[in-house]
Amino acid sequence: MIDIENLRLSIDGKEILRGIDLHLQPGDVYGLLGPNGAGKSTTLFALLGLCAYASGRVVVLGGDPAQDAASIRRYVGVMPEKAGFYDWMSATAYLKWYARLYGCAQNDQGRARLLEKVGLGTEAHRRIGTFSRGMKQRLAVARALMPNPKLLILDEPTNGLDPKGRRRIHDLLVEFAAVGKAGVLLCTHLLDDVDRLCNRIGIISNGFTRFEGSLSGLMGEQERRRHYRLRLEAAPDADNLPTGVTVLGPEGGWWRVQLRDRATEAPSAIWGALWHRGWRILEIRAEALSLEQIYMRHTGQEHAYAKEVAK
Amino acid sequence: MKAHWTIAGKECVQMLRSQRGLWWLLALTSVLSAFSFLLVSNTELSLLDNAQVVYMMAGTVLAAGALLAAIMGSDAYAGENERGTLIPLLCAPVASSDLLIGKTMGLLAAWGLLLTVATPYLWAIGASGQNLWEAWFYLTLFGTPVVLGVGCLAMALSARTGSVLASLLSTTILLMLAASPLLIGPGLRGTAIGRALDAINPLAAALNTFDSVIIDSEPFSAQVTRLLLVAAWLGLCFMLSRQSAANIHFNTGKIS
Repeated sequence: MIDIENLRLSIDGKEILRGIDLHLQPGDVYGLLGPNGAGKSTTLFALLGLCAYASGRVVVLGGDPAQDAASIRRYVGVMPEKAGFYDWMSATAYLKWYARLYGCAQNDQGRARLLEKVGLGTEAHRRIGTFSRGMKQRLAVARALMPNPKLLILDEPTNGLDPKGRRRIHDLLVEFAAVGKAGVLLCTHLLDDVDRLCNRIGIISNGFTRFEGSLSGLMGEQERRRHYRLRLEAAPDADNLPTGVTVLGPEGGWWRVQLRDRATEAPSAIWGALWHRGWRILEIRAEALSLEQIYMRHTGQEHAYAKEVAK
Repeated sequence: MKAHWTIAGKECVQMLRSQRGLWWLLALTSVLSAFSFLLVSNTELSLLDNAQVVYMMAGTVLAAGALLAAIMGSDAYAGENERGTLIPLLCAPVASSDLLIGKTMGLLAAWGLLLTVATPYLWAIGASGQNLWEAWFYLTLFGTPVVLGVGCLAMALSARTGSVLASLLSTTILLMLAASPLLIGPGLRGTAIGRALDAINPLAAALNTFDSVIIDSEPFSAQVTRLLLVAAWLGLCFMLSRQSAANIHFNTGKIS
């Protein structure tokens, strides 16, 4: 459904995307992760044909967005991050009007069902100007689902929603993806959304794809790396470390360390080596990596302390 | 239904349903009412010849239309962008030309509404005199391309800059420059520079036509050159807006 390889894109002379890869198959719920300014939204605009790209290969639903943007968009439901509406319209009038842009002949019952699904059934005839932020967010999801798309693109769909609202959106997306023929591209920085909804993820940072693959594969791979929390008598000498040990930093009275993948020595030998270097270890706990830690690692935010120590 | 009709329909309904549209309508009728009241009640103005009064009213309606077009055109892309409604439009399967045509049709409808609102005022102040029909006809014939041209120019700036303020200020300054030779008076207009400015100024072309047909009762054949000028103005502005609409400045941001 989406094949992006080595996408490069500049805006006003500044290179925003410097090597984006993204592959989404039918049935995938793909989480596109990255810090603010990483290039997530620009990637979405590029695959909708709204930003001209400099080089790379971009294929969306079998077409090139640079050539057939309007015909591709007919089969794509989009919830942009900036989801504005005409405040003077009612929710149902807005959906009816927006459906016309897609050439959809959706009837009143279909619209009412859709609004019911996003929890706006009783508000269908109320002016959008009186809606809360959460209600507008849900209406934006309804707008994206309205053309019954082959590809659904959602940019921060649950941002600012209360837990109940988030749950409702999650359920809708799970239901949409369960059909199996459509693909969902979820652009977010809420890792909980990704954890719950996505089977594949891509992590982008600074205009590059840092990781792309299945979420289960990623978690499995990370488990093979060894992370520990150490409780110490006093702050350690982080400049004098045995080979294969990286100090990730202090956290809540513990010191987090990582033993490199191919560390030849067993952990007990490494603890011994650390003891000889003055590390007075009181307690050791192995830890499983969360998605957040994996994300921090791939976006280069976790090693800030390690870099400082290295200096 | 073609996308441009869908967009034009929204623009028209927005004018009558949104608070903003209703306020503009109220403001325009207030201006026309105040001006008409002055024309009939002010001692000096009430002594004017009837044709002169109709000419002044036609000029006022044209100026109001140009200002309305500058405001609507500036809002067309940049305003939608600022309110967060542009990106959903761009994400829909709508060609940039359809969006532009839809917006231009909305402008045309607004000008049509203004003409409709202005008609009873024209009638009220000029019914007893000559050339009322000519005034209305030439106001429509010359006013439409001038007003649409201003609107298209504002849309071009709006799409290019992404800022309502920048677009509105630029268009208003251009409008004031176009109007300045007229405001300075016949002395300047009689000079070579004044005549040259008149020859390329669409606003002057329209006002000179009103003068020619309402006050001097000259025939249509005397207006052809000026009609060509305002048509060229519209064509140029539409081309500019088309070029800008294909490369709209939009930004990402938080939900509004």
